[in-house]
Amino acid sequence: MKDRKNIIKVKNLTKRFAASIAVDGISFEAQRGETLGFLGPNGAGKTTTMRILAGYLAATDGSVQVDGLDVLEHAYEVRRKIGYLPEHVPLYQEMRVAEYLQFRGRLKGLSRRRLRNRMDEIKSLCGLHNVSGRIIGHLSRGYHQRIGLADALIHEPELLLLDEPTIGLDPNQIRAIRELIKTLGQKHTVVISTHYLVEAEALCEKVLILNHGRIVAADAPAALAGLLKNKTVIAAEIAGPRHEAAAMLRGLPGVVGVIAGPCRDQNGSPAGEWNSYVVECAPEADPRCEISAGAAARGWALRELILEKKKLEDIFAEITGSVQVDLQ
Amino acid sequence: MPRSPAACRWTCNENNSFRHITMSNVLLLLRRQFLAYFRSPAGYVVIIIFLLISGLSFCRLIAQSATETIQVGDILFRSAYFWMIVLVTIALITMPLFAEERHSGTLETLLTAPVTDAQVVLAKFAAAYLFIVVMLLPTLSHAVLLHLFRDAGATFSLKPLLTGYLIVLLIGAFYTAFGVFMSSLTKSMVVSAILCGLGMSVTFLLADNAQYALHNRPLEYVFTQISSVQHVLDFSRGIVDSQPIVFYLSGTVLFLYLSVKAIEARLWR
Repeated sequence: MKDRKNIIKVKNLTKRFAASIAVDGISFEAQRGETLGFLGPNGAGKTTTMRILAGYLAATDGSVQVDGLDVLEHAYEVRRKIGYLPEHVPLYQEMRVAEYLQFRGRLKGLSRRRLRNRMDEIKSLCGLHNVSGRIIGHLSRGYHQRIGLADALIHEPELLLLDEPTIGLDPNQIRAIRELIKTLGQKHTVVISTHYLVEAEALCEKVLILNHGRIVAADAPAALAGLLKNKTVIAAEIAGPRHEAAAMLRGLPGVVGVIAGPCRDQNGSPAGEWNSYVVECAPEADPRCEISAGAAARGWALRELILEKKKLEDIFAEITGSVQVDLQ
Repeated sequence: MPRSPAACRWTCNENNSFRHITMSNVLLLLRRQFLAYFRSPAGYVVIIIFLLISGLSFCRLIAQSATETIQVGDILFRSAYFWMIVLVTIALITMPLFAEERHSGTLETLLTAPVTDAQVVLAKFAAAYLFIVVMLLPTLSHAVLLHLFRDAGATFSLKPLLTGYLIVLLIGAFYTAFGVFMSSLTKSMVVSAILCGLGMSVTFLLADNAQYALHNRPLEYVFTQISSVQHVLDFSRGIVDSQPIVFYLSGTVLFLYLSVKAIEARLWR
């Protein structure tokens, strides 16, 4: 059944690989014209979900429908409705830009005449006019990203799936790509995945926070960011039993909430008994002295105590990278 | 109950667009893949080396024919060097087909476009096969030379020439399909080429030698039947047997089918 309101309908989507569960029974919907963001650290299941939506992988369990059609049963029809930009923007490096886009356009079913008009539109939309005769392999990462976007857009799909569209770009390029996505969001339904909170906040109307294959929060980005913003936030690293330390922190005056997770060393593995805490406090509160005194009283070592100096997104990334998530 | 117009339009559209796209997709993919061989020096180098070696072995057999009688088909198709370089070429040109796309990630954009896995496999096979055909075309000049410079009064028979090329094309299709399958299994081009080479040596070298060394009747029979060398010996003398034709054609279809399955397997891993 065609659903007038929702273009994506995902129910209990599960994907198991040989040794692990990448996506663990998630359900969500995306409305037509909406920009939806997947936010989460690496390994949260964002890319796997994207690949299943794009029809590159099959779900182990659950149902995935795009425009009322099952993505595998009606793979052919569904793929014509989708423009997909994979994570590392794979392109045929030896081809020229215009030639590549023509090849992709024809492959996606555009007639020669339609393609001729479309090529001009897409080149100006993605800023590719002055490189259209260049060999793709000789261009920069930023251009690769634009070529990938142009490829995803060329057949004017209803639904755009963009997997980490700004990863590996410099700040100017990031800004340009974000502007472009914003423009696209006015005409298309866009699903983007990112691990930047600000990006999700700037681009999306709805954000799903994924961690370990589960949706841990789903809301408008303002509401999610509000969980951390408008409060004083203190980042602390304490060596000691996690639950006791979290309880100690919660008990301090002015503290609203505590998010705890193990510290990561440089290899990304948990660093022994060290845990990191994000302590949310009332706007005026500054319980740093109490925290250090509390840790000292219990004999726990304290090696970091920062008052909102870290970017929110870093803290967020650290926390969702942990085993235990306690967004309250 | 009458079908709703919407439902009818839906099915019609689907069928029409499918028919429209099926063949053109294969041609589009074939074109890209075939041209990719010539985007780097690799394609040219392979063809030049092939022509050099097959040309030299042709000269050598011509020189031998001054002292002994050699048949036309023997001069053109029975050189071990000719076959060696054909097989090496097949391993080299089939290895990137899927392995490279998988390695670089382009397989993901390719297979999420509105194409079927079978179209992709067919196009890649056709592109590699076309390369082999293009590479073989200049060897027709050898036949022309033999015709022009034959001894006065000697007859030039066309039949061994045609059947000789027939077996080259059949064996070429079979091993190309085998190479496509090997490439569809891995993301390493080296692994693909090695597997392809090993597989080819079974029917080409092993079968040819084993049929003489074995004293086991059924096995000996099997090896005689699948020995490509034996087929080449027959066909290049103008002896056409339907059995090898069926063997190579069905083998080609089998390996292409297995390739489609190997590509589909990504869904369920």
